[in-house]
This record gives sequence, C-alpha cells and structure tokens, in this order.
Amino acid sequence: MVSSSSSRAPNGLPLRVEALTVRYGAQVAVDQLTFEVRPGEIYGLLGSNGAGKSSTIKAIVGLVPPASGTISVFGMDPIKTPIAVKERIGYVPESTLLFDALTPREFLEYIASVRHLTEAEASERARSYATAFQIESDFERPIATLSNGTRQKVLIAAAFLHQPPLLVLDEPLNNLDPRAVRIMKELLTSYVRHGQRGVLFSTHTLEVAQQLCQRVAILDHGLLRGEGTLEELRQGVQQGDASLEEIFLRLTREEEAVRVAVRSLGG
Amino acid sequence: MGWREAWRLSEAPYTEIAFQAIYAIRQGNLPSSTPDEELTEKALRRVTQSKLMVAFVLGLVGIGAYLFLTQRVETALGGGLPRGLYVAGVLDGVLVLELALVWWTGLQILPTFLGSSSMTLLETMPVDERTLDRVGAILVFRLFDAPALSCVVITPLVVAVSLNSPLAGVAMFLGVIAVVSVAIALALLTGRFFVRRIQGARGGGRQSLVRWSYLLLWAIPAFAMYGFVTFSGQYFALVQQLWYYGPAPAFTAFVLSFPFPFALLTASAPTLQGVAPTSTVDPLWALFGSLVYLEAVGALVVWLVRAPRRLVRSTPDAGGVGRAEDLRLVPSRASLAVLVKDLRTASRTPGYAFLILLPLLDAMAIGFWTVVNPANGDTFNLGIAAVATAALLATFFGPAFFAIEVMGYSYARTLPLADHHVLLGKVLLVAIIYLIASGLVLGLTLFRFFDPWLFLAFIAAEFPGVLAASFLELGLLFREARRRGLPIVNLYSGAWIATLVAIPGVLVAAVPLAAFEFLRAGPALVTFPSMGALALLELGLAALFAIGRPGRGAL
Repeated sequence: MVSSSSSRAPNGLPLRVEALTVRYGAQVAVDQLTFEVRPGEIYGLLGSNGAGKSSTIKAIVGLVPPASGTISVFGMDPIKTPIAVKERIGYVPESTLLFDALTPREFLEYIASVRHLTEAEASERARSYATAFQIESDFERPIATLSNGTRQKVLIAAAFLHQPPLLVLDEPLNNLDPRAVRIMKELLTSYVRHGQRGVLFSTHTLEVAQQLCQRVAILDHGLLRGEGTLEELRQGVQQGDASLEEIFLRLTREEEAVRVAVRSLGG
Repeated sequence: MGWREAWRLSEAPYTEIAFQAIYAIRQGNLPSSTPDEELTEKALRRVTQSKLMVAFVLGLVGIGAYLFLTQRVETALGGGLPRGLYVAGVLDGVLVLELALVWWTGLQILPTFLGSSSMTLLETMPVDERTLDRVGAILVFRLFDAPALSCVVITPLVVAVSLNSPLAGVAMFLGVIAVVSVAIALALLTGRFFVRRIQGARGGGRQSLVRWSYLLLWAIPAFAMYGFVTFSGQYFALVQQLWYYGPAPAFTAFVLSFPFPFALLTASAPTLQGVAPTSTVDPLWALFGSLVYLEAVGALVVWLVRAPRRLVRSTPDAGGVGRAEDLRLVPSRASLAVLVKDLRTASRTPGYAFLILLPLLDAMAIGFWTVVNPANGDTFNLGIAAVATAALLATFFGPAFFAIEVMGYSYARTLPLADHHVLLGKVLLVAIIYLIASGLVLGLTLFRFFDPWLFLAFIAAEFPGVLAASFLELGLLFREARRRGLPIVNLYSGAWIATLVAIPGVLVAAVPLAAFEFLRAGPALVTFPSMGALALLELGLAALFAIGRPGRGAL
C-alpha cells in the first residue's frame, strides 16, 4: 500500500538531479543542471519565464524525458521504476488543467484510488484540505466551472492527499488568494518537519522564496547561475545585505537590462 | 465594418479553434516540442482533412440517392408504393441523413468551439457589435463549410440527374439549404444546452441519472443517422403501412413533417415537367409545407448570425451552489477507478456518451422491433443479430475510449498508474457495454422467446471474443502511443489510428460469430462450446499481447 510506504520514512535523499539536460528539438531548455533536495528542506527553483524551472520539474515527474543526466528520488530512478517514484511524489503542475468533466470529489476519489488510499484516510484528508481552503461548497461542481484559484486548491489537496515524502510544486501559489497563500506557506513549513520529507518549489516570486526556502537554485536560460542558502548567495555576489531579488538580477545579469527597460518606459 | 473585415478578423480565432481541436491543450495535453508555426499549419491541415472526410461521407449519401432511385432497389424496398411516394421517401431519407450527419458533426466540434475562448480577445477590441456577431457566424460557417457545401452541391445535382429534371434539382437544393440550416441551428442549441446543463451538472447519483437521460436524447441524431441506414427497410414498411392502413390525419402529419415536404416537392417536380407520373399525394401539400418551412428557415438564418457569439459567451450553469454535506471519498481498485472516471467523464461529454449509448440504442431498437413486429417469426435469429451487432459496435468504438485519457493527460501521467490498470479499465467498459446491450436484447425478446438458454449461451460464448478484441485494440494503441511518445490520440487528431486499430479488433470479435454461423446446423452442445473455446483462445492470445509486458506507467 502506498499510503503506508509514503508514511514510512524512506531512505536516501528525497531528490537528486545530476547533470540534467532537457531538450525540445534543437532547443535546450535545461543544461547540465545539478542540485539536490535534502530531508526536511524546502528547495526553491528560481528563474524568469523560460529559465527551465518547469522543464526540470516535468523531467522529475516523468512528463518529459531527459536528454541526458540522472534523476534520483529516494535513490530510485524514475525511468526504471516510474510507478515507485510516482508513488512517492505529490505534484502540483504549473497549469490548472485537470479532468474538467469531473467534480473535485470525483477527481480526488480517482486520485485516492490510484494511490491506494483507504476510504477513511482519503475522506478525512479531503475534508481537512477542503475546509482549510474553504472549497467544500465547490466539491460537487464540475472542475470546468471552477475558478483558477479553486482549481489550484483542488490540485494542492490532490498533491497532499497521500502525504508524499516528496512534494514537487510548480508555481503552487499562482491564482491563490492571500488567505490560501498564508495557509500554504504554513503548511509547507510544518510539512517538511516530519520524517524525511522534502519539497521542491518553483517560483518567480522572490519574496516567497526568501521566506520559505532553505536553499534556492537560480536558473537562467537553462543554466544554473547560483545555488545555496541566502547567506551563501550573498557571499557569492560579495554583497552582505543583498536581497534575493538583487542577487537574482546580479546572477542573471539582468540589472542593466531592467534599468534600460524602465528608462525606455519613461520611468 | 463589413463581412470582408469580419472574415479577416475570424482568421485568428479560427486558427485557435483548429489548434485546440487537434492538440486538446486546454483539456490537459502537453504542448508538443515542434515549433509553433509548424503545429499551427498541421492543425489547420488536419481540421481541413477532417472536414473533407465528413464532406466525403455526405457526398456518398447524396450519390447513394442515385442507387436508391433505380428500379431494382425500388422493387425491393418500396414494392407497392406509388413511384412518387417512393421517390419522396428516398429523398426524405437523404435529407434526414444529411440533417443528422451535419448535426452530429456540430456535436463533435462545438464543445471545442465553445471551450476555446476563441473570441475572448476580440471582445475586448474596439470592434462593433455587429461585426463581432458576424465573426461568430463566420467561425461557425467555417467549421461546417466543406460538409455543408458537399450537401448543397452534390445532392441536388445527383437528384436532378437521377430524376432527369433540373426543376427537381432546384427543389432539392431548397430542401438541402433548409436541412443544413436546421442542423447547424440544432447543433448550436444542443451545444448551448451542453455548456449550460451538462458540462455544469453536479456530481452525485441522481444527477448522474439525469445527465445520462439528457445524453440519451443527445445521441438521437447520431443514432438517427445510423438507424436510418440499418432500418431503411422498416422505414419503407412504415410509409406503406401509413399509406395503406393509416388514418388520414396521421398520413397528412407524416407528409407535412420536416423535411418531407421538400422531398415530396422534389419528387413532384418531374410531374410538373411531365417527365414522370406521380405521386398520389397532391403536390400542393408539398408546396405549402415547403414554403412554410422556407419562411421559418429565413428567420433561422437571421438567428444563426447572432447566436454563435452569444453561445460562446454563455457560461455553465452549475445548478445552484452545491454544498457537499459529506465529503466522503470511496476509493476503489485502480482499474475500476479508471472505468468510473471514464463513465463520469462520458456523462458530461456527449462525444463519448454517444459511443457508449449507440450499441445500447441499437440493441434496444432491434429488440423492440422484434417485439412489435408480428410478421417476424425468428426471434432467436434477430436476437443473435442484435447481440452480434452490439459486440461489433462495442469493439469498433473501443479505441475511442482511449481518447478519454487525453483529458488531464499531462497530470495523469504523473500518477502511479500502471498501463495494465488503464487497459483493464477500458476493456471493462467495452465488456459492460456488450453485457448491457445483450441484456437489453434478452429482456426485450423474452416477450416472444420463451427459451432463453440458447440465447444466453450465445451471449456467453461471444463474450471472450469481445474481451479479446478490446485487449487487441487497446494493446495496439498503447504500443502506438509509446512508439510515438505522444499524447495519445484524440478524436480529431487520431481518428485514423483509432479506425486502423478497430479493424483487427472487429475481425477478432467476428471470428466466434463466423464460427457460430458455420457450426449452427450441428447440435447446440457442439456449436456453443466450440464458439466459446475459440473466443477463449483469442482472449488468451490477445491478453498476452496486451498485458504480457509488465506495466511501467510509461504512457
């Protein structure tokens, strides 16, 4: 049963990515990327649009095949043992496209079935997330009729439903209202305190990353420009009081480009 | 801004609709890695191909009229009917078929049209209301253009040649215009109904029943198309019965029902020219009916110009606030969950619902015919014909159920769902359709057939053959999906693959049926076990082929 295997503390690093390259035809989306998510850690993938965050995440969850490099989830290879790896991952995709013809209840019931949850644990967890995110009244409406924010909440509930040891979240705070954002932040912080859990979290909202993540990777055009804790990154750019935003712009060499853009817009 | 400007403005939304129709990205497909321009060209090309395919079928319907108007077929089908009435019957059939086919095409494409948000951006631009209405109308026209033109050009030409009367061609032209306009209007109305009531329908057992009842109504145009071909003999028998025995008001109502007046007017046209002797029905009835319907069609066309845009803007009606009192999830085995998910999806997606309902409707129609037709003496033969048809239809549509996986596809691939669970779920669905269809036939024929055991033996012996066909089809599709590494087929982009895969499937389902035909003269104790053994052998081989390799969740 997955639920038991998920709750059992798995061995090894939640996630290790080594020299990962992802290509779409001739275009290189991710180039030789290496990082790891350690137990008890929220790890942030930061980057502008098109930096390679989502491509990295899609390779981890098995949506796009890596051109080269390796991925290891608790010591397991997603290519060789996809089912075992997928059992240990809870995923929130970047887009909120789901099974539009199903209601959230039907959708979560499907997820609970595929993840072999018992009726009691599935129902209890669904109730908790529905109540926390205030979506009980939407549970019997087809997903097609729901707002993007509500869809996002349903996706978050689905990702947490089997209490996975690794959460892979692609822009999880998109479309959420401030209340839900706050709940989500608290939830993630407390979630990784248990067992060997890890969270990979992609965002381009640097304030959120600074608040939530123990370590971050800064991606730019598929390349890793910097990695580490905020302090380590500050040391890297030799600016002791720099914010994550300043570090980001420095590492991605966008400072001057931002100044020029603002000037051209009359700012 | 005029129609020319509206046409220019429709280019971008039309491309968007084509793109969505082919790649189903809004339904959860991953975008392909191919460059966007190439994808767009491919989408436009495939939509054109799909339209031409439907246009071709409609063209065949028009050409088919020529065959039905020959003396030989007339003797077989309409023996005893006056020539004019027989011709009108054939032309009425052609018009009804065209109506059903165009309507059915609309049912297939309108959900994409409605879901594409193709006009949203235009709505925010400084474009006047009238032009926006026209853009909406042009978009709908462009979705139907090739099929509509095929009807409007080919059918009147064929009729004019067949009846050797240009005037008949003109009358048929009017009939086709009326029929196509009504079909598009019906497609739009049912489309709106779908968006507001079906797509937004709440979950829950009672609501599911209501949804399936609605979808049964929805399937009628498609079944009308199929049913008319299957039951053309019975149709002419009905016309004859009305003609000979029916009370006058019933016959007059039949003559005035849409689109019969156009058919009758066309059949009467040669008479007016002195070409062929006629119908025993006064052509004035036809003229009167046609004029009334043409007047209504004129109003309909005006409505059609405005309706598409309003339709695009209509939002789903979620049936009030649904407060879930008891958030209870009842998980099941993975294969069963796939089956339940498919049924729930189909209950809000007419295209899929139709695939499930058609074999059932067919079984009900044949079963019902068996019961009500006193002239029919061989209930057993009709019963097994109905079951055989259900088996072949269920297996023919099996590959299409695979397409349900396109919905939420990118998300579903991140779930720990082994291939064999998906495959078993789909096979279960086909098996259930076959068993329910057979059960319906059995239930209906029990009124006339008091020894059901042989019939039950036939259903049971064919059952492994149906499973074998499904395993083979789905196994082939899984391999194809893996080979291409692509989001599996959807009904638009993968119609050819699904059809190609369905052919060996239908053949496998047909083998035990052929064995039955071959052995039926012998004792039942030999016939049914032989048929069953053959079907079981097929099942073993097909299951080995489909799930022989361990599921790796590679889809």
